[in-house]
Order: sequence, then structure tokens, then C-alpha cells
Amino acid sequence: MSMNSTAIQQTPKSQINFEQVKKKQRMKNFSKGMLFLLPSIILFSVFLFYPLARTIYLSFFLTDAAGATTVFVGWENYVTMFTSPIFLQSMKSTFLFVLYTVPITIIISLFLAVIANEKLKGIGFFRTIYSSTMGISVAAASVFWLYLFHPSMGPLNLLLNAIGAEGIGWLTDTSWALFAIAITTIWMNIGFTFLILLGGLQSIDSSLYESADIDGAGYFYKLRRITIPMLSPTLFFVVTVTIINAFQTFGQIDILTQGGPVNSTNLVVYSIYREAFVNYKFGSASAQAVLLFIIILLMTFLQFKFGERKVHYQ
Amino acid sequence: MKKILAILMLGFVLFLAACGSDGNADEAAGSATAGAEGTSEGSGDNEKQVVTFWHSMGGAGQEALNAIVDSYNSSQDEVQVNAEYQGSYDEALTKFNSVAGTDSAPTIIQTFEIGTMSMINSGSILPIQELVDADGYDMSGLEENIINYYSLDGTFYSMPFNSSTPVMYYNKDAFEAAGLDPEAPPETFEEVEEASKAIVEANPDMKGFALQAYGWLYEQLLANQGALLLNNDNGRTDTPTEIGWTEEEGKSIFEWVERMVNDETFANYGTNGDNMVSGFLAGDVSMFLQSSASSRDVIDNAPFEVGIAFLPHPEEKERAGVVIGGASLWMIDGKPEAETNAAWDFMKYLQTPEIQAEWHVGTGYFAINPAAYDEQVAVDAHEEMPQLNVTVEQLQATTSSFATQGALMDMIPEGRKIMETALETVYNGGEVDDAYNTAVDQFNTAIEQANAARGE
Repeated sequence: MSMNSTAIQQTPKSQINFEQVKKKQRMKNFSKGMLFLLPSIILFSVFLFYPLARTIYLSFFLTDAAGATTVFVGWENYVTMFTSPIFLQSMKSTFLFVLYTVPITIIISLFLAVIANEKLKGIGFFRTIYSSTMGISVAAASVFWLYLFHPSMGPLNLLLNAIGAEGIGWLTDTSWALFAIAITTIWMNIGFTFLILLGGLQSIDSSLYESADIDGAGYFYKLRRITIPMLSPTLFFVVTVTIINAFQTFGQIDILTQGGPVNSTNLVVYSIYREAFVNYKFGSASAQAVLLFIIILLMTFLQFKFGERKVHYQ
Repeated sequence: MKKILAILMLGFVLFLAACGSDGNADEAAGSATAGAEGTSEGSGDNEKQVVTFWHSMGGAGQEALNAIVDSYNSSQDEVQVNAEYQGSYDEALTKFNSVAGTDSAPTIIQTFEIGTMSMINSGSILPIQELVDADGYDMSGLEENIINYYSLDGTFYSMPFNSSTPVMYYNKDAFEAAGLDPEAPPETFEEVEEASKAIVEANPDMKGFALQAYGWLYEQLLANQGALLLNNDNGRTDTPTEIGWTEEEGKSIFEWVERMVNDETFANYGTNGDNMVSGFLAGDVSMFLQSSASSRDVIDNAPFEVGIAFLPHPEEKERAGVVIGGASLWMIDGKPEAETNAAWDFMKYLQTPEIQAEWHVGTGYFAINPAAYDEQVAVDAHEEMPQLNVTVEQLQATTSSFATQGALMDMIPEGRKIMETALETVYNGGEVDDAYNTAVDQFNTAIEQANAARGE
């Protein structure tokens, strides 16, 4: 009897032990995993999560010039933001800017990548040149375009004058300024986009083209039926990155127009900068930053949800 | 197919190459000068007391300032001043705000006049008055108008350094060609309009007048009518609660510009001052307003004779004069005493007549110590370039009042942007009434918000 009872008692005990060991094992695995993740968790916390939390926190306050919080105002910064005509204009310009730059950058880069993908003598030279704008800093490129856009001495207006047309106030006319910034940005982005697309083209299996050749397919047919579908993962990546970049445009605006004329090129990141570091209103600047974060998050999410359906992975 | 492709590609190469080489050249030049600065900074003696001096002087100003710092460093062997260019005043102030109170903060920082209030409020500065008192230094030798701006209730918070006023630059050769008297430049808004018409008539390729959309110039054009920027005596008797100018005073500037835009005698360079100056030098515009600090640059680079005149004012108003523009030097609190004293010694060096004369002649900023005008360098330069003297005369002709003492408030940088936007609206054919009313509303809101943020 006594033996029996001990046996009964022992069985659940060993079961418990077994569960505990399993739990322990899981804990061990978990901490091991965390240990591997630790470096990036620390980096992300310091440079991303903490600033993000801090930005959200700041957006509910008014601040002094040093950025220290002074008065809690709740949602007021957000309310002011959505009722401010300057900010609404800036959102509108930002979306227009994305619309101007993204498709054109990709079409031009794709075109350059397709022609540079041909096997010609000295093709390496052309590829280097086409991707060369990647090596030019935003500042240098902007200074150079600033010269091109000069109202009276800029080559663009001299050219217009030479063919008898009236010079354009590229950076001072409200209807041209955003367009001028878009041209600059497209030019600057071509290098990077071209390089990525060319890389994508190079990795397409040549047997596909060979069999198409045997079937007697023409150049454009192959382009439409083989190249574009096989390139779609790369294209998808490029579209996502270009859109995010367009939303975050800053350097060229700071150098070329400083948001002017009449706020027509005051894109949202520049508006955040001006609010925080010229007007010293870190609260409303943070509110704008939070909104920008949400918009980019939404855009990227939508792209993955709808855009990725059309992507063909090998 | 391939031939066409090859031709196409060559075309693109030419386009890209033409663009690329320019950009690279710029970059190379930039890094070369940066490198040169780095070595000159690094060569200091370690035993010397090092003073870090942040400034915002680019171009000719930077050259003149570096020369002065070098001469100070070689004039004695106890202090080594390292002058570091930190970008525009705005940028330097932003950087300073993020390092204030740490070891990376400089010993001295140069900050523009409208930063005065936010520097005092920041709590990280040492009022210069304490050093003046401790040292028994005499500040009364400084130009009267400068004392008026920088001393608040009899206390100096910062050491005045580079002061300028706005002046009107004009092309004397173009004036002659248009049958205008180059020695009698227009003085009022109306005369500027008339002169502009004459210029355009004589030479259709040249515009008459350019006003950079720059809030500082708007403030100056207000002050020149005797108008206040902010109420409560420009913020000098109490914290301002709204704008200080009347509708008539504020609108007169917009209407003046609008009339010239309609006459097609106005050249629009937007907010870009560099483009305006290069347009002037290229003979695209005959008159423009700008800080006198550029006068040396403009005179040296113009292929024609440059005239400098007083800032214009509306016909029905007396000329009230101008507000001190420019910047002053702030001593940063919390540094070791030896370092502060070394920095103070450097500040005193900058005030000496010899250095101020050199500075005035090298840039066009006026000498804050009037004794400098008796220095031989200044006398010679005034003889050679009488235009430099106009700045001095204009300042001395200024009647001291709250309007010409200048406004004090921490939101002025934002206010400037608001006025710039309004001016640009008019340049682009917008309605004066709309632009003006929007600007005034925004200006008042900005004042309210700034007061709210201080928790008052």
C-alpha cells in the first residue's frame, strides 16, 4: 500500500519534471535567440524605438528653443497641423512630388538599363556613366542645378532665349519650382535605380531568351513577356524605395528653394525641419513627423498588399 | 538595332558627362578647402589655452575673420583660438542648442541679432557684463546705436562684433546710360519706381529693381518708416503680444513692390540672395537692397562702377533710419575660468580699432568701434572706395527710437519666413490684400504660440 502510494506520487512528479525541463529548454532557446538578436535590438532601440517614442511624446507638448517640454497641450498640435493651410499645402506638394518623380525615374532608368544590358563592345563604360549620378552627393548636385536654373545666366534660360522663348523663373515661379526640384531629383536618382534594375536584368536566365528566339519572338515581345515579368521583384523593390525616398526629400530643397516660392516646394520633411530648427517648435514638428511615419507605413503596407500580387518570384 | 542603341547611349553619355564633371569639380574644390582648414586648425600648440570659436561667416567674411584669428594667435603665445565655421546662423544655433551644457560646446559662439532673446532665455550663456565689470573694461567707446541694440536695461549680454545695415546697391553705368544722375540715387519708393522705368526704357534687357524676399529687409523697410515690428515698444518694455506696425506702414512695402511688378521693372530672385547679386553683377538688374556686409564683395567683382545709397522710404514718411543687423559674440557658461578669460581676451582684441578697421575694410561690416575710421587702413579704403562710407553715414544719420533699436522676441525667425512667403506671393502676381492679411494673421499666431510655449 505504502509502496503503491509512493509510486502514484512519483509518476506525476516525474511528469512535472519533464514539463519543467521542456520549459527550461524553451527558455534557454529563447534567451539564446535573444542573445543573437541583442546587438540589433540595442541598435534599434537606441536609434529607432527610443527616438520614435520620444517624437510621439514630444508631439503632445509645446517646447522651448532647446527642445525641452514646457506645456502639455494634448492633441492641439495635431489639430493646428490639420487646420494650417501651410501644412495642407505642404502635404499636397509632397504627393504631387511623388507623382512627378517616381514613375519618370523608373521609366527612364528601366529604359537605360534595358539598352545597357545589350552585349556591346565597351558596354562597361556606358554602365559606369549611367550609374555615375549615384556617386554625386545631393549637395554637389543641387549646387550644380542651382547654376543651371539661374534666372539670367543659367544655361537652361540661355538656351530658351537662344530659341526665342522667354526665360523661365525655374525656382522663383510658383508653377515651375516644384517641377524644377522634381527634375533635379529624377536626375539624381537615376544612377541608383539604373544600377539595381541592371542587376535584376543580368540575373534573368538566358535560356528563356534562347527558347524565345527559337520560337521566333521579336524584341519587344521578349521585353514584354520575359524581361518585365522576370524583373518584377526588382521593380517592386525599386518602386518602394523610390517612393519612400521621394517622401523624405530634403537636401535639394534646402539648397535650391528653401521651401519657396510661397511654400510651393515646402515638402513635408523640409516643413518638419523648418518647424523644429528655424521656428523652434519641436512639438508641432514632432506631430508632423508622426503623421509622415504613418503615411509611409500605410503606403508601404498597401504596396505589399496589392503591388506584390503582380510580382513574379522565381 | 544595336547601332541605334549605341548612338542613343552616346547621347545620354554626353548629357550625363556634361552634368557630372561640374558636380565633381565642385565637390573636389569643397573637400580641398575643408582639408586645408583642418590642417591649419590642427597645428596649434598643445600647451596653449585653447578657445573654440563657432562662427557663421562664409565667403569674404570667412577669409577676413581667419586672417584676424591668425593674427591674434601669432600676436601672443598663451591662447590658441580655433575658429570653426558652423554654417548659417540658424544652423549654428541649432547645433549649439544640441550641445549646450556639454563639453562639446564652444567657448564663444557668434549668433545673429534676432537670436538675442533665445540666447538669454537658454540659460547656457555668461552675460558679458560680468566680465566687463570684473575687468573694468570700458564699453562706452562703441558705436552708440550698437550700444542701444545690445544693452538691455544697461546690461550687455553679448559682445557686439559684426554689425551691418541694409543699403541700396546700384549700377552707376546703367544710371548714366538711362540719363539718370549716378551721383543722386533715388531716395524714396516713388523715386525708385521712376528710376526703374527709365532704366528699363533705356535697356529692355535690364530690370530696374530687385528686392530679395528676405524678412530682415522687410523689418528694415518698416523701421525706416519709424514703424515698430512688435508691440510693447518692439518688445523692449514688455513681452510682445502682437505686431507693432499699422496697416498703412506694413502695406506700403507690398504695394510698392506690386506697382513695380505691374510696371514689369521688378526682377524676381525669390529668396535667393546669391542669384540676385550675380544677376546684378551680370547687368540684369540695376538696383537691389542687401546688407552692407556684401559691399566689398560686390565692389570688387563688378565690371562696372557700383554705387551704394541709403535704404529708400515712402515719400510721405520721414527717413527714420535703420536697425543694426549682423551678429554678436556670446560667452558660453560653465567653462573653466582660464578658458573664459582667454576667450574674453580674444573678444577685447576684436574690439581694438586696428582690427575693426581691417574687418570693416575687408568686408563692409561697419566698425563697431568708431575710432577705427581714423586708422590709416580705413582712411585709405574710404578714399579708394567712398561707397564704404555710406554705411557709416547711414547708421550715424539714424534717429534713435524703439523702432530703430530693433525688436526683441524669440519668434522673429519664424516671423521672417512668414513675411518672405507673403512677399513672394506678391512677386508671383498675388493680391496684396490677401497676402498681407494672411501674413499678419500668421505673424500674430506665431507670437501667441511663442508666448504660450514659454508657459506665460
